[in-house]
Amino acid sequence: MKAPVDDRLAALRGSAKRRPYNARSLAALENNPRCTLRALLDASGSDKAAIAEHAGYPSPFGQSAFAFARGNTFEAMVKDNGCAELLRVLRETLKLTLPEVAYRDLNDVGGDGRNETRRDHTAEVLLQAAQGTGDGTLFDHPMLYLEVGGQEAFLEPDLVAFRIDGRFYIVEIKSFPIIDGQADPAQVRSATTQACAYVIALRALLEEAGIGPEAVSDTIVLVAPKDFTNRPTAAFVDARKQVSALTRQLARIERISDLVDLLPEGLTFDLDIDKDNKRPRRPAEELAEALEQVPATYRPDCLNHCEMAFYCRARARAEASLDVLGPAVREQLGGIDTVTMALGLARGQLTPTADQSDMAAALRHAARLRAELTGEVGGAA
Amino acid sequence: MSDPLDALEKSISTLRRAIRDASAAGDTERASELRAQLRRAERAWDALLDADEPAPAPPRPVPEAAPAARGSQLPAREHVHRALMLLGTPAAPKLIVGVHEAFFPGELSASKLSSLRRDEERSYRSSPGARPYYLPPALAHDLLTPVRALVTISTWTLEQRIIGPHSPRVDFLTGAIRIAEAVHTAAQSRSGPSPEALRLLWRFAVNIPDAMPKSASGHENALDPEQVIEAAQAELDVHADADRAARAEASRRARKSLSDDQQLFGAPSQGVTHLRARA
Repeated sequence: MKAPVDDRLAALRGSAKRRPYNARSLAALENNPRCTLRALLDASGSDKAAIAEHAGYPSPFGQSAFAFARGNTFEAMVKDNGCAELLRVLRETLKLTLPEVAYRDLNDVGGDGRNETRRDHTAEVLLQAAQGTGDGTLFDHPMLYLEVGGQEAFLEPDLVAFRIDGRFYIVEIKSFPIIDGQADPAQVRSATTQACAYVIALRALLEEAGIGPEAVSDTIVLVAPKDFTNRPTAAFVDARKQVSALTRQLARIERISDLVDLLPEGLTFDLDIDKDNKRPRRPAEELAEALEQVPATYRPDCLNHCEMAFYCRARARAEASLDVLGPAVREQLGGIDTVTMALGLARGQLTPTADQSDMAAALRHAARLRAELTGEVGGAA
Repeated sequence: MSDPLDALEKSISTLRRAIRDASAAGDTERASELRAQLRRAERAWDALLDADEPAPAPPRPVPEAAPAARGSQLPAREHVHRALMLLGTPAAPKLIVGVHEAFFPGELSASKLSSLRRDEERSYRSSPGARPYYLPPALAHDLLTPVRALVTISTWTLEQRIIGPHSPRVDFLTGAIRIAEAVHTAAQSRSGPSPEALRLLWRFAVNIPDAMPKSASGHENALDPEQVIEAAQAELDVHADADRAARAEASRRARKSLSDDQQLFGAPSQGVTHLRARA
């Protein structure tokens, strides 16, 4: 049963090179598991950024050189001088003892920066630490590996800290500030979702050596600038829920065949990239048509993690879908799908069906209140 | 303490003692290695003495505006050498520049340092031993490959140039002590320590347990170099044994498996031959 699915996925991708899963696409998997379009594009390894751009919705991801440089500078500052700042922060939060300072640089293996070599070296060093035969408390940029739906994904956390009592902690170094103990929830969420993939990958690595999942904490250590200064502080983020959600989604990823079966024969997202000038030769309208055939579930927070988000938002807007307004509104208006329908019910222009009658009454009431407040006449029936 | 000559003399006498011990123990291999190091150290001492007195340093292309104090006209590698001698540990370019700005006159930029690192190895390979000292990278304890981010001095012992798991912290604490000593010395001079020096010391002290003054009011003025030294020494004692053992083990391995120039510039990088297929 597996082979035909792979063939179908390869056909969806077309001539382009396969894109491996990365922390970002795994985060998308956890954030919006119901989205068929995303699931298909990720599973087939299509280049979402290129497709979105050709469809007319270029995504600004990874393009802010400033944010990128700022992130790198902050991380370098935290790790400078033998991780001096980081150690201070981790001694405060993780209660690292004084002798726990050993540092292993896993950025490359003696000058060799290839993923496979680094993965093997990382596995060796981390297993030694877990089994108590090697030393190491701070592991700088280990290379973890996860198999996702039969495809390999390389994941690279900023740092893994290992406490003597035998637990690994994923440490994420981010440059958004924690002000008065509070940080932007959206950014914290995207940082923890990324870290979840690392937790799962690290657990998978240890499991091969017979070490149970409790060796990796599902509490993430977030290191970020404190208040308005440039000095780092750390906070624990509980990622239990996200870890289990992502674990479940990864286990279900095999079900991609069910989705593929629903697609029309011959559908492809191939851009037909010209070998010489690197431009897509496929007409944009044709690509748009192909995309239209696959249902997408847009949510505003897709903008944080999915390259297709702008395309999906435009599509949701064109359909006047309530998705654009986010899950809070969507849940309030259960059973109603579009803005047109909600407005129609509120104005009494549409007759509600039996299961919409409660909602329609609530909407009419809201419309009446609004009309009273704004002094308008005639909105409500 | 800030005088590199003092440090060199100290290392020369340590080396002499080590040679005596080694030949007494009948370890000829180690003794001859140490002798080579001693010769390098003595050459460096001679060269420094020459460079120091009448300062016949090569003229810099851009003349300095002010006839700055002694040594400001030295070439970049001399600046680096001096900063490293003060620290006494392998250091990243950023820290070297920081130490230089805090304690020495003249200009040194991080960009100059990166070109310097390339030149050092080339110069050594073209005529080994022509210069009194070189500035090779530190060596990783496991694979003995170069740790590109850290600069050392060739006259240091192999143990000093190797980076084990504990070494980053040990070197940080050692550096803190040396900087605190330098600040302390400067405090007794007429001009006192520069603001850069105090800031550098503060950056180190905040990350050492118990190194900051107890009262939470005013930081920088109240910073006490002796307290920093004490606190750093206290933590250093915790790590020293583990670190020394790792460095000693790695340097034994290096002496056995690496050639002379590899002991300076590291074992060949792994995977340099595996260039990407597309490149």
